[in-house]
Amino acid sequence: MKQRPFIGWFVSPAALVALGLAAAMAAILQYSVRAYVPGSLDVGGLTLENFTALLRPLYAWAFWGTILLCLLTATFTLFLAYPVAYALVRVRSKALKSFILIASVTPLFLGEVVRTYSWMIVLGNNGFINSVLKSLGIIDRPLQMMFTTPGVVAALVHVTMPIMVIMLAAGLSHIDRNYEKAAESLGASPVRCFLTVTLPLSMPGIVAGFSTAFAWTFSAFATPQLIGGGKVNTVSTLVYQLGFASFNFPFAASLSLAGLVMTFAVIALMKRAMRPVERLGEQ
Amino acid sequence: MPFSMRKSPLALAGILLVAIILGFVMLPAIVVTITAFNDKAILAFPPQSYSWRWFARALSYGDFQKGFWNGLIVTAWASTIALIVGSGFALALHRYAFSLKSTLEAVLLSPLVIPHFTIGLGLLILSAQLTVGRGFPLVVLAHVILVLPFVLRSVFISLQNLDGRLELAASSLGASPRRVLFTVTLPLLVPGLVSGWLFAAILSFNEFTATLFVSNQATQTLPVAMYNYVREYADPTLAALSVIYIVVTALLLTLANLFFGLGKILNVDAH
Amino acid sequence: MLTRTDIATPTSLPAEKPVVQLDGVTKRFGEAIALHEAWLKIVPGEFMTLLGPSGCGKTTLLNLIAGFLDADGGEIFIDGILVTETPAHKREIGIVFQNYALFPHMTVANNIAYGLKTRGIGADEIKRRVDEALALVKLDGFGDRKPRQLSGGQQQRVALARALVIRPKVLLLDEPFSALDKNLRASMQIELKEIQQRLGVTTIFVTHDQGEALSMSDRIAVMSAGRIRQIAAPQDIYRRPQDRFVASFIGDANVLKGKLSAVTDAVAQVTVGSLSVEVPAAPLAGLAAGADVDLFVRPEHLVPVDGDGGPAAPSLAGTVRTQVFQGGHVDLYIDLGEHAAQPVLLRSSAALAPSKWQTGDVVRVRPVSADLVAFPKQDG
Ligand SMILES: Nc1ncnc2c1ncn2[C@@H]1O[C@H](COP(=O)(O)OP(=O)(O)O)[C@@H](O)[C@H]1O
Ligand SMILES: [Mg+2]
Repeated sequence: MKQRPFIGWFVSPAALVALGLAAAMAAILQYSVRAYVPGSLDVGGLTLENFTALLRPLYAWAFWGTILLCLLTATFTLFLAYPVAYALVRVRSKALKSFILIASVTPLFLGEVVRTYSWMIVLGNNGFINSVLKSLGIIDRPLQMMFTTPGVVAALVHVTMPIMVIMLAAGLSHIDRNYEKAAESLGASPVRCFLTVTLPLSMPGIVAGFSTAFAWTFSAFATPQLIGGGKVNTVSTLVYQLGFASFNFPFAASLSLAGLVMTFAVIALMKRAMRPVERLGEQ
Repeated sequence: MPFSMRKSPLALAGILLVAIILGFVMLPAIVVTITAFNDKAILAFPPQSYSWRWFARALSYGDFQKGFWNGLIVTAWASTIALIVGSGFALALHRYAFSLKSTLEAVLLSPLVIPHFTIGLGLLILSAQLTVGRGFPLVVLAHVILVLPFVLRSVFISLQNLDGRLELAASSLGASPRRVLFTVTLPLLVPGLVSGWLFAAILSFNEFTATLFVSNQATQTLPVAMYNYVREYADPTLAALSVIYIVVTALLLTLANLFFGLGKILNVDAH
Repeated sequence: MLTRTDIATPTSLPAEKPVVQLDGVTKRFGEAIALHEAWLKIVPGEFMTLLGPSGCGKTTLLNLIAGFLDADGGEIFIDGILVTETPAHKREIGIVFQNYALFPHMTVANNIAYGLKTRGIGADEIKRRVDEALALVKLDGFGDRKPRQLSGGQQQRVALARALVIRPKVLLLDEPFSALDKNLRASMQIELKEIQQRLGVTTIFVTHDQGEALSMSDRIAVMSAGRIRQIAAPQDIYRRPQDRFVASFIGDANVLKGKLSAVTDAVAQVTVGSLSVEVPAAPLAGLAAGADVDLFVRPEHLVPVDGDGGPAAPSLAGTVRTQVFQGGHVDLYIDLGEHAAQPVLLRSSAALAPSKWQTGDVVRVRPVSADLVAFPKQDG
């Protein structure tokens, strides 16, 4: 149609929001190349110092550690979410389906603070796991889980599970069951059928889910802050400390910017790296 | 992993596996619920005696009350604005070709992968540059940016499921584009609009990281108040609040599932 | 290639002002041409059918008339007014879609009233006209139902009532019956034709079903690959197809290998073996005597010649290949050897067969009709 009624009404509010977001990102970009004036919220002249500071061991390690944390979390989440998503899509009973859906999706809507707090009670020295182990006589001194990387990963996996389940299930639900039936009728064992048909076909969902889990983990703040308790430094906790403890906003900005670039790079890499896996089914 | 195959060992193993994983997912909620009824002020397991007193404290604690009302204000504004902005843009995306279409789409969807602390920091710096204070408008803008992708997705999916011929039929019957929009398109989009709004509202009410950056004492929302509380106290007040949270959220989701089919909203049901 | 004058020739049109007129309308989707220079005139009260295989551009043509698509070339007139730039909602056209497109959130009565409300008509008048429309499609008393509470046939009637109640200048129907089962379809066809004649509404009907087209239409426009091939009354389309596509798309046709023996302005002489028949010369324009041609013969125009006795009329010898009992008649497939690439089909009364012939019998056949046509030979 040549006429596009209301196009202005439809697009301009969205364009305004996009502008706001773009301006915020531009503000970060601008601050990241400005000098830090200690004790002041104002910034000095142009400098590249903030980026060279990123190479200092503390920050370089935190960066690297955050990437590992994200990869670890996304991988665990994938392995835990896949069976749930599969069950969600394939289970026949409506009630069971609703139960799986609500149980796995509710945490998505609880917010990071509630979820992190719950994990603090589970992992704490007087918490659920230690109490159970102690009463069973397996341990007599509490296991240290708070303020450790495994503790943070466990809580983060819990944070990213719902979105991973949703993305995997969305992919799986669009796979025609008849492909699997065809493979089985051709003599493929259930395992072989899964590996050669279902898995490759669900690859787009896996890539989307993994990338999102990665990005969400990178974005998480309350979990590494509260469960890591200062022992597990991530980009997010450093940015917060730099901003609100030392008011070094220029450096916080450059760290954020580096994190953003890294997130996009990893997501792009992942999409590329997973492409050969999608062809698995062709052999 | 064919769960449908009865009694095959593989299927049984699969069922067991899923049950264990769901246990992991639900464990914190269960533990936090038990804790909330613990009479003692120390976090310990299992509780020696039970009471409702932490619920009473959670509901009467000033910061939580203030945070709750602040959160409601921010959520109401942010989700409504996001609904209007998002449905308009979804309509434009679905119907029209226009310049910068894919750029605009990419920018508006980018908060799905941009860390929330980055968006928070960016808006904070921006507000400093423009010398506007950290008032409600800033918090609302942050929330609109963050929940917009979800509204967009929800409305766009409903639009795809809408039969375009209904709009053509209406215009052939003499309805102007405005009349078609208000008497056919929007009424038929209601489920998508409601679920999009609900999504936006729940996410906005729970948003924490970006809010931590852009709010101040006067505008802090409930999650920020809760975060500040955990850092200072270790009693089960927060557990009680969490239980209220979990119950309300699960109720809302169950209702959404009953009325709209959550599976359809989340696009995990094949049609 | 057809030209405008070709198309205008076959039927004598009353010299009335056309309700719908298309002058060389073209529509492209990217590189693909969905409609190539369509020329069409539809007179008041006429029932015009667009007939052609799926994907030939019927819906595109309809959408152009309705204003849902913009033409890339040509002009469209409705009631003599150029509407090429007029938006759909100002064209005053009634449309019935294949899936009915009833508004699911409105009652039947509100569906029908929709077009009246947009015209700002008073409530009493709307009620009167909605009731009238419901009566017209025999759905009195169904006004308060929601569309999903109706059967397919009933929904179809509501769609028809909704389109007619606005007294459209022209009624467009896009394969309206293709979702209905066979019996319902037949009765809806009769009903639609009845209503159309009673109201005298100018109608453009789209179908890919030739039976439907032949039985309902005043004229048929046969389309293929984005082009209108022929516009004529049903009998003329069947008896005097203008090109090869029309001849083979409408009805069954046997193709015999013939030779052009003589050609004059109007008629041409074609020989097949010892047979010699007359065909219209127009489709063979440009061919010289001696050229290879394909002779099209309808199955019911091919008759067996009694072998013993009888006048020795010229005929072709063939072997019976297969007999298929069809109830009222028997389909007999006869191999004519060098005279036809495929065995030819002959319809014989069931009373005669199957006892009369056995597979492998030699029979003699000949065409008995004035409606034979021939086209230049085509490879394959
Ligand atoms: N919106 C469109 N975009 C691209 N190609 C189209 C579109 N609509 C129709 N076509 C193409 O135009 C041709 C004619 O389509 P259509 O008019 O729908 O055929 P019919 O109704 O006769 O089946 C087809 O080849 C079809 O693929
Ligand atoms: Mg069509």
